Amino acid sequence: MSKGARVRAQRVQAPQKRGGKVKTPSAPGQSGSRRNLYLGVIGAVVVLAAILVGASVLSNSGGSSKPPSSALAEVAATNRLLAGIPQNGTTLGDPKAPVTMQEFADIQCPGCDQYMRQAFPDIVKQYVRTGKVKVEWNGISFIGPDSETGLRYVDAAGEQNKLWNVAELLYRNQGPENSGWVTKDFLRSVGEAVPGLDADKVEANVQSSAVNRQMADAANQYTNYGFTQTPSFAIGPTGGTLVSFSPSAYNVGAFAPTFKKYLEQSKQ
Amino acid sequence: VSDRTLRVAICVLAAAGAAIAAYLLYERWTGGPLVCSTGGCETVQQSKYSKIAGVPVVLLGLLAYVGIFVTGLLRTELARAVGAALAVSGLAFALYLVYVQNSKIHAWCQWCLASDAILAALAVLTVLRLLREPA
Repeated sequence: MSKGARVRAQRVQAPQKRGGKVKTPSAPGQSGSRRNLYLGVIGAVVVLAAILVGASVLSNSGGSSKPPSSALAEVAATNRLLAGIPQNGTTLGDPKAPVTMQEFADIQCPGCDQYMRQAFPDIVKQYVRTGKVKVEWNGISFIGPDSETGLRYVDAAGEQNKLWNVAELLYRNQGPENSGWVTKDFLRSVGEAVPGLDADKVEANVQSSAVNRQMADAANQYTNYGFTQTPSFAIGPTGGTLVSFSPSAYNVGAFAPTFKKYLEQSKQ
Repeated sequence: VSDRTLRVAICVLAAAGAAIAAYLLYERWTGGPLVCSTGGCETVQQSKYSKIAGVPVVLLGLLAYVGIFVTGLLRTELARAVGAALAVSGLAFALYLVYVQNSKIHAWCQWCLASDAILAALAVLTVLRLLREPA
């Protein structure tokens, strides 16, 4: 090795002896490969982010700019109240419960709202969850167009055994009668707030023959009982004759003696 | 900062992010109440923006965190690239969701914001890791 070459080699080695970092000059191929890697990452980021944002914008476009769910109240409380209780179509509670109560209600009726807020939660906790009473929904629509729109959505949710979650959420978020409060967006937000409910399927089934039949059956029973207002109730032994019942107040205490009577009868 | 330190930090942060996403997903599916000091968690989680084509956004977040966690375990160039791509694109989408919370939903979800902060840190760490010379 010539003297000049030795000096150049020592200059190159010197930083290594001092323990310093040495950046080995990248080979042209290596540098190009890293540049390609960075470009690939940048490309992937742009594509992924564009897909996510684009899909979110597209799947949420076409609706009202109003955030429907932001107005929804008591979602968690409703889901907690009904969690774990069997639902089958219009029925809430153990199918073998000795006592049955039918509820006839219009989703716009303020009295029904009062009952659902003040009596229903305690009835569920004390009688339905404990397997003593099962409750059957019979939706009536006579107040106005919002009644039918909402009722169809409630009944359609029954096909997925989530009727009571939807009904309870509608009451807890009830708007003024016939004000147009039962919008498609509002119902959508209600459907999406119910765990395990396919809101798309509910929307697709609101005009189904099953829902039409359910509404007609409820209306017929309502007439046969001779009811003229909502909420109205009929209580009796499961499988036996149910008798119309008018509570003196919308609290669990007003229902308790009647439940007790039929529960005692079932033990005899 | 050594590659090992970066990988440990990435895995810890990704695990924390995955825990948040798993919690939100669990409560979403069971209908349980969310612990929330901002008062808007359920509003945000129940809004129409919480899903993309029927898939919960929080599920996408969970998958992204798991993906970033796995790339933190691996030492390959590809893992570093995928980790950075996931974290940075996740951060970009998170920023869009911050805009949505502010301008569309008008409610704030503390868990989402915590997740956003984690994603921001992950984006920095994964990019740092990517820019390092291969060992």
